[in-house]
Amino acid sequence: MTIEIKDVCKSYDGKAVLSCVNLNIEDEHTYVITGPSGCGKTTLLRLILGLESPDSGTVRLLGDYKYPYINSGTVFQEDRLCDDFDAVTNVCMVSRKVYRETVTEELLRLLPGSELHKPVKELSGGQRRRVAIVRACAIPSDILIMDEPFTGLDDESRKKAIGYIREKQGSGPLVITTHDTRDLEFGRIIKL
Amino acid sequence: MKKIAGRAAAVIAWILIWQVTALIVHNQILLAGPLDTVKALRYLAKTPDFWQSVVSTTLRILIGFALGSALGIALACLAYKDRRFEIFLQPMVAALKSVPVASFVILLLIWFGPGNISTIICAMVVFPILYLNSLEGLAGTDKKMLEMAKVFRMPTERKLFYIYLPQLVPFFKGAFKLAIGMSFKSGIAAEVIGQPLHTIGNGLYLSKIYLETGELFAWTIVVVLIAFICEKILSFILARI
Repeated sequence: MTIEIKDVCKSYDGKAVLSCVNLNIEDEHTYVITGPSGCGKTTLLRLILGLESPDSGTVRLLGDYKYPYINSGTVFQEDRLCDDFDAVTNVCMVSRKVYRETVTEELLRLLPGSELHKPVKELSGGQRRRVAIVRACAIPSDILIMDEPFTGLDDESRKKAIGYIREKQGSGPLVITTHDTRDLEFGRIIKL
Repeated sequence: MKKIAGRAAAVIAWILIWQVTALIVHNQILLAGPLDTVKALRYLAKTPDFWQSVVSTTLRILIGFALGSALGIALACLAYKDRRFEIFLQPMVAALKSVPVASFVILLLIWFGPGNISTIICAMVVFPILYLNSLEGLAGTDKKMLEMAKVFRMPTERKLFYIYLPQLVPFFKGAFKLAIGMSFKSGIAAEVIGQPLHTIGNGLYLSKIYLETGELFAWTIVVVLIAFICEKILSFILARI
């Protein structure tokens, strides 16, 4: 699968956020998109996800793809978890193709067992972030798209999370936006 | 415990005020006292018509409540999905909110007769309450969570359960509590005007005709009690959602 981003421009209220961006996202590759705040990292991800349309240019899914939108395991800039439900439920709720036992095992790789059955509103920012990462990785998807996935994670948790994500990437592409490219040198760094 | 005792004391104080006032007025037609009311209630409870009226009115009102609630929630979902439908419904909802119940009752009596008047009126009173509250709840649903659901292709029933329902429950709680009280008020009023046989409304009307103020109060207490029990059952169910 290839996502072709061609001459994409996007502006909000007359202010250009993306100007003529070109990029091909291909299987098995990792793309680390970096740049200062407001440079359009999140906007680019939203365009790839089909949540927004470019002002000009195109974002196309090349090849034989059966859905109009890409099937993505996504970490949003915010955690976007259901506060009153626990971590296991938050991961299980998004897909019928995952089971509580498997999800529990996945979560245990990044979180202590004592935190799995608390409502996520009682977890710390870093723990919630890790739940969001597992949610993105646990469901079957064609691509992983992660917007600042390591916010609130200490160095050790960050390394663990990177290892986990790489393992879960499989044969699909991985797109990460971040301010901090440490430990992500295995991917292609793209500065916006 | 202290709170319950305080409330009980307040109720007893008002019953005493009522009894003293009745003694001062000393006219059972103008004001029956609590003892006369209890006597009337005991007398009524021994007649088979009383229980038939209680069951018939309660059932009719609860059916109207359920119909109005279901319709209000269903149409709110459709209006939330399509803004044009919401605009289309606006005049009808505004009319249902502002037109006096009595006007509808008379119109419905002409159209359908007195048979199911309380059911229809209840549904008409409950509908805008549930519709407007559900619509407000749906409009307040977190757009970012809906976007998350879209990206993950979350199954519809899970979206309803995990995203919409937690948002709607506080609105439902307020709306249902208000609606159940309004149901009994409007349903009984409709029965008093329409006078279908073997109903509480008809009992109230006959009490007025025969100037049986004790019976009038007794019927009123019965209505208050039924509404109170229904509200408590509803609160119990809502608390478990």
